[in-house]
Amino acid sequence: LPIETLTNDIRVMRLLAHDMTQANLGKRVGLTRQTIAAIEQGRYAPSLEVAFRIAYVFGKSIDEVFRWTPGDALLGSQAETPPAPDGA
Amino acid sequence: VSSYEYRAWLMLWGLGPAYIAYFGLQIAAPAWLVTTPQRLICFAAAAGFQAVVCLIGMTLKGGDRDEAPMSDERDEAIDSRATRAAYYLLMIGAVAVGMGMPFSQGGWKIVNGTLLSVVLAEALRNALIVRGYRGGRRLAH
Repeated sequence: LPIETLTNDIRVMRLLAHDMTQANLGKRVGLTRQTIAAIEQGRYAPSLEVAFRIAYVFGKSIDEVFRWTPGDALLGSQAETPPAPDGA
Repeated sequence: VSSYEYRAWLMLWGLGPAYIAYFGLQIAAPAWLVTTPQRLICFAAAAGFQAVVCLIGMTLKGGDRDEAPMSDERDEAIDSRATRAAYYLLMIGAVAVGMGMPFSQGGWKIVNGTLLSVVLAEALRNALIVRGYRGGRRLAH
């Protein structure tokens, strides 16, 4: 069964940004190194504001850095939702 | 290890041995632990042990320059969740000790009941903080 996941490319983007360290990124967005590591490993879902800050540091949009996959429960509820009328 | 997780470990290492020994002695009730001054000395020894563990631990940690002296939203989320759970445990303890025990118990049993609920709440809080930092489960803001 698919579960809701939030993944990100922060590690890759750090490497592309002249090997930026976790501590350096954390300093720029107001987080500790441990929290950046937790976000990279998917152990912590940051607030929307922090997600925007991280994307801003890399010069990307938020959906270029973070990817969200809906879980089983949400997929089920989407199937029950009637489609929106055209042009709405 | 973040400074907040480290502090929680210190509290657990201080609380555990000190109050297991304290409550063990209270239950065993040896002959040399009967009067109020003797019991107060026993409590002071437990609290003192915990303080010494924390002081030594914080002194050792003091040399770590890598740690940023700040808390961020994850630290606050972990602390908030742990404190909320500990609050409920403390409330249960307060109700049991304050509304139940006065009708059936007295003296040091009420004191120890209060102390037990405080110690358990503090242990739960610090255990949940450690779990928040260590756990594999994803924690949302």
